[in-house]
Amino acid sequence: MPYPTDPIVVSGIWAALILTLATYSYVLYKETYAFRFAEHAFMATTFAVAVVVAVQTLASNTYLPLTQGDWSYLIPIILGLLMYTMPFKQYRWIARYPIALIVGVGTGVAIRGAVQAQVVGQVLGAITLPSAPTPINWFNFFFSLIAFVTSTSYFIFTKEHTGLFKYPTKIGRYVLMLALGSYFGNTVLFRMSMLAGRVQDILKVLGIIPF
Amino acid sequence: MSKSIWQKMADVDKRVLYWLLFLLLVVPYLHPLALPVAVQETTLALYKKIETMGPNDIALFSIAGGVSAWAEIAPSMVAVMTHLVTRQIKVVIWGFFTDQDLTVDMIKSKVPDLTTKYKYGTDWVYMGYLAGGETAIAQLASDVHAVFKADKYGTPIDQLPLMQRVKSATDFTLALTVDTGSYILYYIRHWSTAKGTPVAEIGIAMQTEYLPYYPNAGLMAILIGVRGGAEYEKLIGHLGDGTITMDAINVSHLLFIIAIILANVGYVMTRREKK
Amino acid sequence: MSSIFRKREVILFVTGIVGGINLFEYFFAVKPVADAATIVRNWAIIVSIFALGLGIFNAVRIHSGHIRRRTKNQWPFSVFLLVYFVLLTIIGLWSTQNVIYDWSFKYVYTSLSSTFYALTGFYIFSACYRAFRARSVEATILIVSGALIMLRNAPIGEVIWKGFPIIGEWVLMQGQLGGMRTLALVGGVGLIFFGFRTLLGLEKGYYGGE
Repeated sequence: MPYPTDPIVVSGIWAALILTLATYSYVLYKETYAFRFAEHAFMATTFAVAVVVAVQTLASNTYLPLTQGDWSYLIPIILGLLMYTMPFKQYRWIARYPIALIVGVGTGVAIRGAVQAQVVGQVLGAITLPSAPTPINWFNFFFSLIAFVTSTSYFIFTKEHTGLFKYPTKIGRYVLMLALGSYFGNTVLFRMSMLAGRVQDILKVLGIIPF
Repeated sequence: MSKSIWQKMADVDKRVLYWLLFLLLVVPYLHPLALPVAVQETTLALYKKIETMGPNDIALFSIAGGVSAWAEIAPSMVAVMTHLVTRQIKVVIWGFFTDQDLTVDMIKSKVPDLTTKYKYGTDWVYMGYLAGGETAIAQLASDVHAVFKADKYGTPIDQLPLMQRVKSATDFTLALTVDTGSYILYYIRHWSTAKGTPVAEIGIAMQTEYLPYYPNAGLMAILIGVRGGAEYEKLIGHLGDGTITMDAINVSHLLFIIAIILANVGYVMTRREKK
Repeated sequence: MSSIFRKREVILFVTGIVGGINLFEYFFAVKPVADAATIVRNWAIIVSIFALGLGIFNAVRIHSGHIRRRTKNQWPFSVFLLVYFVLLTIIGLWSTQNVIYDWSFKYVYTSLSSTFYALTGFYIFSACYRAFRARSVEATILIVSGALIMLRNAPIGEVIWKGFPIIGEWVLMQGQLGGMRTLALVGGVGLIFFGFRTLLGLEKGYYGGE
């Protein structure tokens, strides 16, 4: 793709570059006014986008049903507006109703899904025998089964981890460290690809690499 | 008492480390290494699934990741959408992030066939933003039309031919979620486990915490981070940003390994000196 | 009359009822309950849209306070934030195709969003260098598994030694599986128990319990 020539696009990509460098001045130098400016610009645009999208979504989800005579949609609109009493101490109790609705529905929905997916599914996954009974598959099966049982034992807090119970919980701790170390390794991939993306954009705008 | 080299190394100003990382990340863009990327089974599973699908199938493309994570997930999104469009699979897009319009615009610009070869309303639709998280996903699983009354552009849902074929989760051949958080778990709970719809994820690297659900506990495939994007680009024969970014990943990861080794060698040497 | 609605029992009852309807609907096919569950879920989705604005409402109050009090080194930035936010919101509500809104969304928001998210990359690097010491068996396992995954993720791992991607792949697909499964199971069990406590009115934190 050739380097942009449209003045609006060029002004945009250069503004993005300056804001990126202003933000990175915080880590590469120290907290500067440039960083504070970029920080507040980010907050302002984030808030504006959220409000615009929220209003548009509300309009598209409720306008049609209301114009078609389904007045029941007024109830969630009123409940939603009641949430804005929360910052005001004397009226805060009113906001508890829309919150109760969101929490109640969310909890009911979450519980019914968690039973099968997270409890039954995970236990079944741990105890299902390998489909292809090769030595490496059997090793993997027993390794993950022992890892699963021992790391689950670590989360039993109603019995002290002493005596015979000390050994499986210790192994469980090591297994959890293996999992968390793996998670850390993937976190590094994520953070580095984000940073690499910014470096790539900087080089593109400066014309050092093709756009 | 003067400090040893190891103590000096441990006390180095963190801004030196930051500059080192920042500058070294520039190098692979100037001198690409272009090392080959091996395709993993979790990525191949999605490719094989899409290869079995065709013009009569409908795929959901759910956007649960923001613009901030583009560097990680955009290559995968573009590669998978290219594959879907090549196979003429119908696509329904909706999402849960307020900035997803930018994501859809980015996909449209990088997959031009979506707008040139596909007819909006018949071959693809963009339903817009949805609040409500898991509640919304649970509701969509049983009744899409109860949630969406119109698409992003205000067209009533009953005027969209594609949406007449989509009433619930069971009408989708594949549900793809582009995820930076826990939306994949909601889809697993309410779409895959409850309704039997195959669910796959295009996720950031940390989404490997959902590997326990692969392949038989609700998650049929997962593209892990920018590496997953590079792998998928290789599979469809259309190399792009994912492959380019892997060079920077090589340099950064090597730097991390060196940092860990130096840190621990320094730690051991400093302990010996103290003894 | 309002004193009845202020009672926490009424709020807990509402939570329990709407949650109970959703649970009942999942396990029993009773049409009136299914219809009621659909209605309350739709209502919750619409109410959630309003929740987007609540955090912003609070942020505007805080920055207005900074301007009123002329907080040193802060109030000019608060003025800029509020002016830019109000301007963009009005323009965006009028038309999202407007050049100012579009430009701000495409170039200011996109670049800053990615940039702030990527800031943590620096911190994780310095944490690796300064804090990742193999002081114990657990720390050693954590560091080694992290390093193996890094060498698996980056193709350069295979260039260094052909065994790294193989071992790293095993750690990712099998080694970490037991631990991650446990976290999923424990998370699920915790969610179920906490959920039932919430629906039964034993948890008060979500509404600021008094």
